[in-house]
Amino acid sequence: MSALRVLLIIPAHDEQESLPRTLDELRAVVPGADLLVVDDGSRDATAGVARTRGVRVLRHVFNQGVGAALQTGFRWAVEHGYDVGVQFDADGQHDPAYLETVLEPVRAGRCDVSIGSRYVQRSGYRAPAVRRIGMVLFSGLVSAALRVRITDTTSGFRAYARRVMEVCQHDFPRDFPDAPLLIMLGRRGFRMEEVPVQMRERRAGRSFYTLGTSLYYPYKNLLASLMALLQRPAQP
Amino acid sequence: MVFLSRTQIIAAIGAVLLALCVLDLVRRRKLSEEYSLLWVLSTVVVAALGFSTPLLVWVSRELGIVQENSTVFACGLAFSLAMLLHLSVRLSRLGQENQTLARELALLRHELEESNSARTPADEPAAGRT
Repeated sequence: MSALRVLLIIPAHDEQESLPRTLDELRAVVPGADLLVVDDGSRDATAGVARTRGVRVLRHVFNQGVGAALQTGFRWAVEHGYDVGVQFDADGQHDPAYLETVLEPVRAGRCDVSIGSRYVQRSGYRAPAVRRIGMVLFSGLVSAALRVRITDTTSGFRAYARRVMEVCQHDFPRDFPDAPLLIMLGRRGFRMEEVPVQMRERRAGRSFYTLGTSLYYPYKNLLASLMALLQRPAQP
Repeated sequence: MVFLSRTQIIAAIGAVLLALCVLDLVRRRKLSEEYSLLWVLSTVVVAALGFSTPLLVWVSRELGIVQENSTVFACGLAFSLAMLLHLSVRLSRLGQENQTLARELALLRHELEESNSARTPADEPAAGRT
């Protein structure tokens, strides 16, 4: 790692099965990196398995949603003087080998938010049809709104510059930090860039995106995206 | 467009105004998207019934309602009840979460006081209960 202080923020909800391997992998690939697990009100031993590995854990008293967990991480990062925050999944979908790829554009100062995308280059990932329609819709919406091509709006593998985290610690979607967030950040003048990454299948545990939310998700994200477009862009 | 009564027109226009109001609240972040869902749904249904007389007549006949106006009002009432129930559920959850927070805070304060009183041992007020 360079002179910039980088914090890896790992939101986790009931991830005791996959978190140990994720943390061990990170420790093996980036031994010096600062890790922060935000336990979003887990009912299993998520916080415990992180602590036994010497990783710092912030615990939400009850489940608040992945966005809220991430926001807690941003708050901590800003308060403790980090320059870059990297959002990293606990479930093993993200490969630490791509950490440097995602980090590089922000570190080089080319952009404020760097997004690890599954679709910039053809990868093995194939989503179900309904999901693909949604992905095309939201990627089209974000790309049109921001005039930057964003192919993977739901990617949870992102790097945020400090000034982005400063804004996000106050203003962040609680549940799905996807398309509306990107539009909001773009409207505030933050630059975004996508980098190609490969993602893996989740190892265990449930996704934050469950069946119950699959009906609410498109409504919420569509409405929030349109509203983000109508809102007067604030200065960063 | 043929309207059956003045009430139908008023209901339709009212629904549109309410929808605009709800969307504006969401835009100004006074109302979260989560809570807007039921409102938007209700305004869409009432506006559809208000503006489409064939739909209103068909729904009324299917439900066995003689006066078409009643259908519009019944819909509004149904949504109001749904909204109240939804809010009660949310309120219950908030209450529980509030209790959890208070408990956590009490435990934290207790812990803090214990570690502080390591230097000056004194009987601290009992904590950990709400």
